Formats: sequence, C-alpha cells, structure tokens
Amino acid sequence: MAYVATRGGEKAIEQAERLFRQDLGTIDAERVETIRRTMPYLIDRVMGEASLYSEELAALALAQTGGELYEAVLVLRAWRTTQPRIAVARPVRQSELLTQRRISAAFKDIPGGQILGPTLDYSHRVLATDVLEGKPFAPPEVDRADRAAPQHQPSLADWQREQGLVAPVAEPQVAPEDIPDLTREPLLFPASRAHRLQSLARAETGGVLALGYAAMRGYGNAHPTVNELRLAEAEVVVSHPRGTQFAAGRVRVSQAEVTAKEKDGYLGLGFAATFGWNEVKAIAAATLDLNSDDAPVGSAMHEEFYLYHTESVEASGFCIHFKLPHYVTFQSALDAMRDAKARAAKANAPHDEPAATRQEEPAL
Amino acid sequence: MSLANLTKPWAATSYGFLDASAKRELRRKMLKAIAVPGCQMPYASREVPMARGWGTGGLQVTLTLVNRNSRIKVIDQGADDGVNAASIRRFVSRVSGAAETWDTLDASIVQSRHRIPEETLRDDQVLVLQVPNPEPLRGVEPNISIARQMHADADYGKLWLTLYEQIVRKGRIMQGAGYPSMVNGRHVMTPSPIPRWDVPKLNMARHLTFLSAGREKRLFAVPPFTRVEPLVFSDRPYQVEEHADLVCQRSGVSGYFMNELPVDGGGSTFEVSDSNLGIKAIQRAQGEPTVIGPTWYRNGEFSA
Repeated sequence: MAYVATRGGEKAIEQAERLFRQDLGTIDAERVETIRRTMPYLIDRVMGEASLYSEELAALALAQTGGELYEAVLVLRAWRTTQPRIAVARPVRQSELLTQRRISAAFKDIPGGQILGPTLDYSHRVLATDVLEGKPFAPPEVDRADRAAPQHQPSLADWQREQGLVAPVAEPQVAPEDIPDLTREPLLFPASRAHRLQSLARAETGGVLALGYAAMRGYGNAHPTVNELRLAEAEVVVSHPRGTQFAAGRVRVSQAEVTAKEKDGYLGLGFAATFGWNEVKAIAAATLDLNSDDAPVGSAMHEEFYLYHTESVEASGFCIHFKLPHYVTFQSALDAMRDAKARAAKANAPHDEPAATRQEEPAL
Repeated sequence: MSLANLTKPWAATSYGFLDASAKRELRRKMLKAIAVPGCQMPYASREVPMARGWGTGGLQVTLTLVNRNSRIKVIDQGADDGVNAASIRRFVSRVSGAAETWDTLDASIVQSRHRIPEETLRDDQVLVLQVPNPEPLRGVEPNISIARQMHADADYGKLWLTLYEQIVRKGRIMQGAGYPSMVNGRHVMTPSPIPRWDVPKLNMARHLTFLSAGREKRLFAVPPFTRVEPLVFSDRPYQVEEHADLVCQRSGVSGYFMNELPVDGGGSTFEVSDSNLGIKAIQRAQGEPTVIGPTWYRNGEFSA
C-alpha cells in the first residue's frame, strides 16, 4: 500500500543504491591501489577526517563512494568505531619526527634550518593540458642536495621558551589510558585541550578553512604568524605486553604552530596536528586554537561554535537529512498558520464582533 | 578446555552491530536518563553505517535494547514503508535477528521519526523517538553550555517569553511540531518533532520512551507514568492540530492525525498518517480478521 511517490519501501531503496553502484562499475584491488598511489593528498585528507590511518582503507572508501568525500569519511568512521582499541601509542614529540618539510615565517632562519620539502607553493599553477594531447608529463628529477637535511629538527617553541618568549609549560602527567578519547566520549564544553585538538584533527578541511579564514580576516583577534609548520612522518611507538617499546609503523602527520602577539608577557601559541599532509587544515585549525581562549561565547571563534560546525560526519549528515520527508512537521506548522490567519481575518473584519470582547493590554 | 571453546566464533561485528563498550556506555546513560526524566544525558554516540540526522540516535538506543526475541517496528512520518524507516528496520533485523513488524500491537520496540502511533502503547513496549535537536532552548539560546546552565537553574523564562510573544503577535502559540514540554515538573524537553497531536500520548503513559539524538550526542527519557505537560498559559489551553474531523480518503477512518494531499485544481484530500492503522481499517472493512487496539484518541478526542 504505497501512499505517495516518496515512499516505495525496500525495493526502491535497493534499486536506487544499485543505480549508484552500477555507475561506478566493478571495484577491484587494482582500482583501489591506483587511487592510493596517485592521490596521496586526497588519501591524507580522508584519513585525517576519518581519524583512521590506513591508506588502503581510505582508497577503498574513495573507490566505493566514487570520491563522495563525506560518504567516504562516514564509511571509514563507521568501520573504525567497531574496532577494538588495543593500545595507546607513545606521544609524538616534535624532535623525534622524521621531518620532510619545516618552515617558519617568524624568523629568516631557525635552529635546524628551514626545509622546503615537497610543495607547490612556488609553482605556477598551469594546467598541464599537453597531457591530454598525448604528451605525458614526466616530472624532472630532483637534484640531490650537497648535504642532506637533518632528519630530525628541534622544536622552535622550545627555543622560544628558553629565550623567555613563550610561556613555560608543565607537562601534564597522564597515564596513556586516561588521555581523553573523543571517539569514545562525548564532546562537552569547556572542552579539554585533548578533546579540542582531537576534534580539530578530525575536522572537515573545508569547514576548518572557512572558520579559520574568518578568524584570519578579522573576525578573530589574532592575525597568525606561522611559527612552525611541519610535514613529517611519526613513528607509532607502542608497548609490547612484555614491556618493550617498539615502532609499529609510521604515519604521515602535519602540524602547525601559529603565534600572534604578546599575551601575559609571552607569545600566544595556537597548535593543531592531523593525520596526513594537509597544510591548509593545520594552519587554519591552529589559528582557531590561537583565537579560541579570548573568543566571546557564541562567536564563531569560540570552541563550541567551530568544533561543532566543522564535524564532517555530523554536519554533512544533517544537511542531507533535509531530503527526508518532513510532512508531519510541515502539517503541524501549517495548521497553526491557517488558524492564526483565520483569527486575524475575523479580528480585522469590520464590526464583526463587539469591541468589548476584544482583550486590551491593561494600561500601566 | 581450550581457548577456542572459551571464545565466541569470529564475527565481523558484534551482535547488534555496536560493540560491548559502546552498549555499556549507552545502557548507563539510558538508566541515568530514566532516573532524571527529561534531562539530556550526553553520550559518545558512535558512528553507525548511516548518515547522521537519519535516525542514528534512535538506532543506537534500539540496537542496545534489541534481542533475538524483539519485534521491531520502525516508522517515519507514521509510515512503515517510508524509505528510511525500511532501511533502519532492515538494518536492525539484519544485525540482531529480531523480527520485523508493521503492527503497533505486535511490536516490542517502536522506533519512530516524527510520530507516535495512534494505538495506545502498553507497558511491555518501548518507544524510541529519533531526535534531530534535543535542546528545547536552542531557539532562545544556541550555545549549549549556557543552555545547560539554564536547565540546571530551571530557567525557562526566555522560552515562556517566546510563547507569550507569539500570542501577542499572532493571537495564538505558533509552535508547530516539537512542542516544548515540562517533564516530571522539572526539565523542559522537546518531545522530538512529533505534532502537538502526539504530545499528550507521552503524559502518564504506560510505556517507556527514549528520545535520542545521535548527531547531537544527547539522549533523554520519559519513564512510564511520568507527567509530560506542554508549556501553556492557564488562560490559553493547549491546542492540537485541527484534525479531529478529517476523514482518510483511503481507509475511511477519522479522528486521527492526517497527511494533507493537495489536489489538482485546488483543495486537499487527507489520508491517515499512521499508515498501518489505515491498512488495518481497510482490512477490517474487507472482512479480514484484524485487531485494531485501543487508541489514544477516540472520536477525535484525546481520552487516555
């Protein structure tokens, strides 16, 4: 008994899904591998937003959703949450990162040096249309430097701390299993620093950029200076049940530290890090972190505002849910509106009712 | 005895999809929600294989309640064959082995979006309402931290004021669905976007109701025999939608909440929103053995 066109039950939804999947064709390991190999920055973005580091699974998610990023992130998150949490890795320290790119806009040179690493920053953004004319683009080989850059770099903020420019920190002593885990607990406000940074790490890149950009343009108080930006690989060090520590693998990470002006006698610092190489997200997120503490409650720079509204799965899901039928709520609103109009028409009808029955506001 | 026969056979996911730690957290929060009726309990709200805003909160509660003997009814806008209702019902039965049903009388768990069935729920049934926005104060205070404080202080003045302003401006309260209601005399909740028609069904009801917002990570409950009172002024009685006299053009039933169907050339026809009630009425009219249970509304009047 199908009532209206938007219903059709099980058969309709099955066929609609088939139509989507039919357009994508057969997904095999080769397609997944091609995506993984050729789209590393897309993979990085998806892994960051899914908060799941697996290039292979990210590529699979992209393949099976046809590159619909919100859907890709959702299937990865839904898979991730069913997995047991078997270990907590040792915290990553900046000086231990295998650093491939590291720049600072705060100083011309910094201890350890500026390392440009792989970037399109200074390239001319010209579309390589020759490729479509049958001339493949083979990138010229990189000339080796005379002296290899050091693999590990000190933290610039540590140097600034020694100079009394940045406030000293007392490293909190937290047992690994007691570190708040956003994937197992709700985000409450004021958010713990761990929750704030975890939430930014898995936030949607475009959303973080939009709100971070708003902060940069002047809706925030602080105009960021990139203190240090890193693209690196981090060892995932976990403890064996016997007590030995070992590296289970490496993950690509981005981190950004931005600063602005003096606050309480020191430079204020904003920080963000995420899985994968995603500079835009790291800088924008660090800018939000920097502006956060002084932001008025309710403003777009306040943590509750930007953390809620950059949550990819929640925001995209709510947006598309408006496609669901809403005719009960609509009917309810319509009922109130019709009744109010009928009352107004009755009230405005000339001499329709004696004035005495109309309620007047009592004079003060 | 070996390790193999101490462990369960391997499965890709846990029974009922959610893993034990997620369910344990949910059960704790559900018990807390029952203990403090109408008060929003934050929970982790794991991702499920469904988009946020599509019933993920209700789904998590249902998946926590379900067992192999459960009988699941899922409705959207009152209908069992709505595409999303069908999708949720299929998912729950697939991961739990629970039976599917369209009949309100037959269901042990009713998950619903935007409606409460017309047939009176019993004390052995649980209603799970999907909630898009759990915060009745959102319209007057979008900041969650401040709204939480307002709930703690039972500071509902701003909410009362908006209702009063509507009366002043429009001659009546304009709130459509999701009418803010005081639970157990203490916490104002949104009953989820059910029509005003359905809110009295929650008051002193025999059944347990969970309301769960997956995206917003909040759940709350109305335990059996708990007062649920719409916010109204003493001289302005609560008004449900004027559907009492409408007649369903398909099943002929009247006195229930209806869907309005615009007709070419102007005017509208109506059909009963609780689609399975309509189906049962048609079956009865055709002489098939059909049981229609007692309903909350009789002859268009609420009479529970």
